[in-house]
Amino acid sequence: MTGNQFVVSAFVVTWLSASLRLAGPVLLAALGETFAEQSGVLNVGIEGTILLGALASFLASYYTGMIWVSLVIAVLAGIVVNLFLAWMYVTVRASQVVAGLVFNVLALGIASTVYRMALGNSAVPESIPMFQPLHIPFLSTFPGIGPVLFGQTILFYLTLVLAVVSHFVLFRTNFGLALRASGENPAAADSAGISVPRMRYAGTLISGAAAGMAGGYLVLAQVGLFRETIVSGQGFIALGIVIFGRWNPLKATVAAMVFGSCDALQLSLQIFGTRVPPQLLLALPYIVTIFAVSGLFGGKAVQPAALMTPYVKE
Amino acid sequence: MAKLFERRLTPADSPLAILGRTTAAFLAAMVITAFLFRLYGASPVAAYYALFHEPFATLRGFGYALLRASPLALIALGTIVSWRSGFAYLGFEGCFVIGASATVWVALLTASGAGIGPIPFFLFLPLAILIGFTAAGAWAGLVGLLRARFGGNEVLISLMSNYVAIFILQYLVSGPMRAPGSLLETRPLPRATWLPFIIPGTRAHAGILIAIAAATLVWMLLQKMPLGYELIVTGFNPMAARYAGINVGRRLVLAAFFAGGLGGLAGLVEVLGSQHRLMDGISGGMGFVGIIVALLARLNPLAVIPTAVLYGGMSVGADAMQRRVSIPSSITFILQSLAVLLVLAVDALRYYRINFSALRRRTPPAIVEQVPR
Repeated sequence: MTGNQFVVSAFVVTWLSASLRLAGPVLLAALGETFAEQSGVLNVGIEGTILLGALASFLASYYTGMIWVSLVIAVLAGIVVNLFLAWMYVTVRASQVVAGLVFNVLALGIASTVYRMALGNSAVPESIPMFQPLHIPFLSTFPGIGPVLFGQTILFYLTLVLAVVSHFVLFRTNFGLALRASGENPAAADSAGISVPRMRYAGTLISGAAAGMAGGYLVLAQVGLFRETIVSGQGFIALGIVIFGRWNPLKATVAAMVFGSCDALQLSLQIFGTRVPPQLLLALPYIVTIFAVSGLFGGKAVQPAALMTPYVKE
Repeated sequence: MAKLFERRLTPADSPLAILGRTTAAFLAAMVITAFLFRLYGASPVAAYYALFHEPFATLRGFGYALLRASPLALIALGTIVSWRSGFAYLGFEGCFVIGASATVWVALLTASGAGIGPIPFFLFLPLAILIGFTAAGAWAGLVGLLRARFGGNEVLISLMSNYVAIFILQYLVSGPMRAPGSLLETRPLPRATWLPFIIPGTRAHAGILIAIAAATLVWMLLQKMPLGYELIVTGFNPMAARYAGINVGRRLVLAAFFAGGLGGLAGLVEVLGSQHRLMDGISGGMGFVGIIVALLARLNPLAVIPTAVLYGGMSVGADAMQRRVSIPSSITFILQSLAVLLVLAVDALRYYRINFSALRRRTPPAIVEQVPR
């Protein structure tokens, strides 16, 4: 292999590997959000939920040192705060965008207050134990593609499994049918004996659990510490992935990989030193999301018909 | 059996009922936050005293409250224009940054020896307003265009556009507009471009007057002008609007342009009145707090100014609170957003009345036998 080829292949391997790594948390949040949106709830509050999940898992890991326990606590935190969001969306019937958006500000306030309460104003960020990349024997030593596909953390493979499970639950079970009916035609679902509020609570709580876990994923497998800016719009990107993935978990997986690769391109190009301003590269994932949801590529027609519409029983 | 909460047929929407509900929700948020103060081991009374005394009982603090209120009020007005037109725009953080950048660009051009050279303030201000408003208006109008032409999701597009605008700002202050030195900021603006200070001995500047003028104009637009009526009809029922011959798409883009422009003016008053330069992180979440102000003011342009002064004052008091009782100032984010969430929650009470007779002792109603004579 010549030197030039080596650089190119090193670039591609770093890039692809980082793509998959960065796609993980967003995909997880997007999978949960798919359930909420299929039930008729646009849960904008996942941005704040991811932040609180990240904080919960960080604190749990900091105090207990057990990573799996921390991950479970992140999931629980996501469920608890989304109980409140579900109450706002379904019981109070507040505007979903407004409630979710204001909740994100609340979550930011809670996260920075609690973090300072727990750790004081120490300037040095505390680091915690993290999930290490698995090196699947034999497969991960496969040249080129091996370390990319088989050298991720266990959370990544778990997320892929959850994507398949989500697809099965949404499209092959009674629960999934009832959930989608509540988002497509709540009046008809109601007259078929489905409790629309219960389905929408379920959808919102599933998205909360997934977003909380995504926060845990960020802290426990990627960053290893907590910052207020750790999420910085990844929840919103997950919302974009849901639309780009046409409310389908498997397509969302592909969409998340595309987004991950944009994010990773920026990292790789910076490492390899280019003359492009870094801010342009940093903005790339957001610009791609804008194009994905701009309606330039269709997308309006397959959206759950009752999305963002509170259901009032007649 | 009389229930405590009785359902009513029409919602209670009298101004008194609205004010009562809003106040009740705000007090509830203060009670919940008081528990957080207790967790910090601080006395809630002392904390609230620190939070409200400085901005509302000292002249200096009130000046700062007005300083913080002006951009919040302008963003809230932008929120009102777009949301009442049925355009759920959330990109004010970006509009703020774009408006601030455009204003600083013009202001630096008027420095002595620069492109335009010194010009009198009464010429500079209209020019800056025109350019700041148009730049941010175009930024938001683009989102309006995507929604009107292609049915794009304006909620997500506008949220994403915030990040893009922030990266543009970072690019500007780290590259083309960077002042020599280590910080990511521009050179200070020429003194001649600063907004005049209006209360002697304080930092309060004419930005609040711009905000008050804008509030009046937005009120007139929405209440008194045919265009405002068309915007509101578009927001209320686009189908009916189209049937009535209103070009819905064009109205949406126009609403987005006005809303973005108002957000841009928020950036303008911040750089000309308060910061006097452009730097990284200048918006600091103001785009979202402004939306919260609009919600608390119930999308009423005239209620925006007092609400913005309240929230601006709270952010001033938060710093005082951090100094005096060492409670992190971020706790006011909790108070500010919780208040709005509870306001939304108590809206569900609109359809209920409290039946006080149910609170009295439950004596079984006397059964009077109607014995026919």
